[in-house]
Amino acid sequence: MTLKTVPLLTETACVDPDTTLSDTLRQMLARQTNHIPVCSDGVWVGLVDIRAILGELLPVSARIEHGLPDLGFVGDGLSLLATHFRALKTRTVRELDLPALPTLREDTPILEAALMLYREGSPLPVLDPAGRLKGMLSRRSLLAHLAARLGDA
Amino acid sequence: MAATLPQAVLGLPPLAVSLGIFVATYAAIVTERINRSVVALLGAGLMVFSGVLNQREAFHGIDFNTISLLTGMMVIVSLTQKSGVFQYVAIKAAKLVRADPWGLLVMLTLVTAVFSALLDNVTTVLLIAPVVLLITDSLRINPYPFLFSVILASNIGGTATLVGDPPNIMIGSAAHLTFNDFLVHLAPVVAVVLAATLIPIYLVWGRKLSASAEDRALVMGFDERGSITDRRLLRQSLFVIALVIAGFVFAHPLGQEPGTLAMFGAALLLLLRVYDKDAETQSHLIHHTFGEVEWITLFFFIGLFVVVAGIEKAGALQWLAQRIVEWTGGDFAVTAYVILWVSALVSAVVDNIPFVATMIPVIQNLSGVFSPHEIQTLWWSLALGACLGGNGTLVGASANLVVAGLAERAGHPIRFVPFLVMAFPLMLMSIAITSVYLWLRYL
Repeated sequence: MTLKTVPLLTETACVDPDTTLSDTLRQMLARQTNHIPVCSDGVWVGLVDIRAILGELLPVSARIEHGLPDLGFVGDGLSLLATHFRALKTRTVRELDLPALPTLREDTPILEAALMLYREGSPLPVLDPAGRLKGMLSRRSLLAHLAARLGDA
Repeated sequence: MAATLPQAVLGLPPLAVSLGIFVATYAAIVTERINRSVVALLGAGLMVFSGVLNQREAFHGIDFNTISLLTGMMVIVSLTQKSGVFQYVAIKAAKLVRADPWGLLVMLTLVTAVFSALLDNVTTVLLIAPVVLLITDSLRINPYPFLFSVILASNIGGTATLVGDPPNIMIGSAAHLTFNDFLVHLAPVVAVVLAATLIPIYLVWGRKLSASAEDRALVMGFDERGSITDRRLLRQSLFVIALVIAGFVFAHPLGQEPGTLAMFGAALLLLLRVYDKDAETQSHLIHHTFGEVEWITLFFFIGLFVVVAGIEKAGALQWLAQRIVEWTGGDFAVTAYVILWVSALVSAVVDNIPFVATMIPVIQNLSGVFSPHEIQTLWWSLALGACLGGNGTLVGASANLVVAGLAERAGHPIRFVPFLVMAFPLMLMSIAITSVYLWLRYL
């Protein structure tokens, strides 16, 4: 059995790499999701995680390797956060360092897909042979499919 | 075991074999294709296998005073930094000048220089640079001038004391120069160089720096006490550091060596950290602390010492010392300046540690030509040139590359050529200042 039989999260729309981070965040909040796929003319580019956008609000000195271990001395830092939040309007998804996610195909066996979701995280993109995004497969959607199909077996 | 006689090795003279190993080792170190500690250890092994040295001579060539001083200070710094004291000092310094951008640059430069004088440069910049990035981010000003100044200050400050930079540790150990000797002879000119370096920095960047009152208020709102994450560790670390530095200052009358003092201090601090913990926690803490020691650097030193011992035994460095006397006509002042300027120019482009390791026996071999007082001046020339030369290019010192790496990851890259355009003339200026100092005081 392959992923062809599994319902994917197809209602997820992609954002373009030139979409601003503030628009991307707005879409995540509106859809109540923590991820949004990034596509260029329908071709898969990567996945923006809400954690990445949160990171952009933090001082870079705390995010980098060998950076500041904590920011307790800054206080609530609201004005610092506000400055970086306003900057989201002019920064784009293209500037983010998107993680290299493994991709799935429609003909990927379900067991392999389950293993990748277990190891690599969720959700993962399912692409067609041309690299265009068919949909996203999450752990929940796979388990829901298996629960419906396999029942109490 | 009898010392190895200088006989032909594999049919070749020991001098040729040792020089071949020496050149190959140094070339491999410069290319950075293979980790330098591996290269140095291989070179050391070849010196023994080829018969240039036997094992006893190889071990004798290792300056364990330097190794133990480095190790001890690494442990002490590794533990101390976890208290947050470095961040505390940097933030406090920023608030002392009310977050005024130029005042901030001066204070962070001073803080970096002082820390670098007492601790290793790389650790200093690793701790200061992130604070610099945070403060400049908060003030919404370009961090480049600040990071540039931190780089220069780390190398300048490290020149001032025995423990500030590995070349000084090596020179001090070989020449039996004390912590006080370095303070008395180098700290004054280092202070002048640091002050003079700030002038061009002010002219190029400083006078254009500005921040809004609102942004400065943000920085003034930082609570530096919040950066202290472990008050007990802070007290313990400061106690041990004060003890170790006092030991350095009084080492000569006490008849003690810096290596022993540093290792004892490290052991004492470890004891204070673990004495009230169970065995498993103790083991974990100590294992973790020793894991943070830069073994790559230590084994690099060990291998290097053996390689240099090899060419020294083969007579290469004595030959070089004789050539230097010929080229300079035995003129003391010329020799001092040649060592100063050549050290600076070489250190600007290659690692100064192998260079200094090679120059130490060369200067020792000049003791037949110059008086002890004059030889001591040559040591100062070597220390000043080798340490300050590191400011010449981005690859001149490890601390430079560390800051550049941090800056790159923070989105404010420090490129080689722009850095060179500003830093190289400043380095030349610092060597010119030290040239005047040498002339006024010793020549």
